[in-house]
Amino acid sequence: MSDKHLSSQFDSELNQVSARVMELGGLVEAQIRHAVEALSQFSLNAAEQVAELERRVNAMEVEIDHQLTTIIARRQPTARDLRLLMAFSKATANLERMGDEATRMARMVRSIIDSGAVRTLPSGELHVAAELASGLLRKALDAFARLDTKAALAILKEDDRIDREFDGFVRKLITYMMEDPRTISASLDLLFLAKAIERIGDHSKNVAELIIYLVEGKDVRHTTMQDIESVVQ
Amino acid sequence: MLKRLLFFIALQLAGAALGFSQGGPWGAVGGTFLAAWLWFGWDASNAARALAWLRRGGPSDSPHLHGTWGETVDRTCRLQRQHAQALQASEARLQTFLSAIQASPNGVLLLDSVGRIEWCNLQAAQQLGLDAQRDHLQTIGNLVRDPAFSAYLTQGDFTQDVLLSRPTSAGAPALQLAIRLYPYGDGSRLMLSRDVTQLQLAETMRRDFVANVSHEIRTPLTVLAGFIETLQTLKLSEEERAHYLDLMAQQAARMQALVQDLLTLSRLEGSPAPSRERWVAVGPLLARCEQDARALSQRVLPAGSTPHEWHFPDEAMRNAAGEIAGDEAELYSALSNLVSNAVRYTPAGGAIEMQWQVQADGSACLCVRDNGPGIAAEHLPRLTERFYRVDRGRSREHGGTGLGLAIAKHALQRHEAQLGITSALGHGSEFCVHFPAARLRPGAGSALSGGPGRKR
Repeated sequence: MSDKHLSSQFDSELNQVSARVMELGGLVEAQIRHAVEALSQFSLNAAEQVAELERRVNAMEVEIDHQLTTIIARRQPTARDLRLLMAFSKATANLERMGDEATRMARMVRSIIDSGAVRTLPSGELHVAAELASGLLRKALDAFARLDTKAALAILKEDDRIDREFDGFVRKLITYMMEDPRTISASLDLLFLAKAIERIGDHSKNVAELIIYLVEGKDVRHTTMQDIESVVQ
Repeated sequence: MLKRLLFFIALQLAGAALGFSQGGPWGAVGGTFLAAWLWFGWDASNAARALAWLRRGGPSDSPHLHGTWGETVDRTCRLQRQHAQALQASEARLQTFLSAIQASPNGVLLLDSVGRIEWCNLQAAQQLGLDAQRDHLQTIGNLVRDPAFSAYLTQGDFTQDVLLSRPTSAGAPALQLAIRLYPYGDGSRLMLSRDVTQLQLAETMRRDFVANVSHEIRTPLTVLAGFIETLQTLKLSEEERAHYLDLMAQQAARMQALVQDLLTLSRLEGSPAPSRERWVAVGPLLARCEQDARALSQRVLPAGSTPHEWHFPDEAMRNAAGEIAGDEAELYSALSNLVSNAVRYTPAGGAIEMQWQVQADGSACLCVRDNGPGIAAEHLPRLTERFYRVDRGRSREHGGTGLGLAIAKHALQRHEAQLGITSALGHGSEFCVHFPAARLRPGAGSALSGGPGRKR
């Protein structure tokens, strides 16, 4: 992931921490996959696996942060190395947040199952958005490993689709709640679930922005799509 | 070397002779001296040209030199050509090896000692979502991030496969991969990935089948055991006893039917395909199915309800139907299963239609149509699986074993026929059996009544 340094020890440290970040990404991907499975099949078993992975994700976040601090303190990196370490640190935070959102999804699925309103609500449509979000994370991590800014740009554009799905879903839920007020509490659970999916999409977008920052050296957060495109080209 | 020496001496002698003729003995000494310098100059210029050519490094436009330098250049040229040929040959051999590995149905990936991708074939790239060019020297753990895989990579025990599921394009079931590493050379590793999606599917089906058989056999057995216990422990009146025995007989019959169907299935699987030599007349087969259907209809419809409405081929059509090559018992069990399903699932007053159509290309279709409740689309692909039931309770109350369509499909497949099912909820169902032309021939009846011209 990085060019050669005079100190090969530094290189191996950077490689090690990048491998850990990617491993964390893999854990979060698995978490989201289980959460989607829990949602589409209303499986308590899958929901439990999400919670179990959450513990590992948390422990790993702490460990990676510790490694990053050690490297910064010892090597005093500059320029690209500093950007790399900053990007790792922010990516770790974003990934951990995504793990939290997946855990929230699993919790909501459980409470929907408990409430018994499984069949009456349009949970099937959430499935599409959930697949989109987990696909987005996969692409973001692939692009991060390959330092592929073109793919990062595509991710930034694709996140809009999840947002649109979310808006449409909220409108639909409102009609359900108006039709039958008894479904309101389960509908609210579904709403939180949808929000969690939408947040996963947003965090993936953040990771994509980090890739552009890392490769191009330009911070593209809170800028327009045209600006980002001109940076990448 | 001798030539070189002789040439040198000859040049000096010539110089000496020339000098002697011009200026006596001193002239000869001067001539020899001059000749030596001349030769040295010529030799040095040759050497410089050869060296310049070598420095340019190309075998092309070699300088034309004479003597030793010329030969040196020629030999260098030849050596270079030989090296180039050897290189080309080994390159070609490498390409052959690589294309052989490309042809492998499994994914093959070469990892270096720190787990970076050195080479991968197309299969591996597809299965793992890699790009063979772009991901060269990319760490494998960065792209295949499954926790199970990273655990497998770090634990270092490669005697077992690791199973991964990779999401494919939207909607399709996930790809199941079995991955294994084989260490070789200096810490390098060979990674093989096999697509085991179908294998796992078959394994699940087998497990389901065993579970289903056990369940289906246990249910009537439980009922039987219950009645036996009742008969043993309670003193019953003759009437009650007869009633219980009746119920027991029913359960025993159900089990018998189930075992019979299972045996039929295993016979269909185990025996060789039915011969093409034996011909079965279609007409009588259809007539038998019709009789069965009418008898079954009387049995299953509650007394006093509207009877089914029948549309069966009449006798003339039956006689014209021709013959099928195959086994009569198997064909009969397949067709009667289709017809009896139609009767069982069509409510009183519904219409049931059976049709035999010969197509223009000589193949034929047998269609069984009903206007019953129909089948939802999500059930259609799984309908011919063993013990697959759209509605468990209802199917049992109709007395089915859950194996009828599986038997029908199997028996028909053995006759190279295809079973097509179309249905929509509320619009009835249609089961069409398509027999290939190779297994059909116009029968004696059709030859008598109209000849081949009738076949349209």
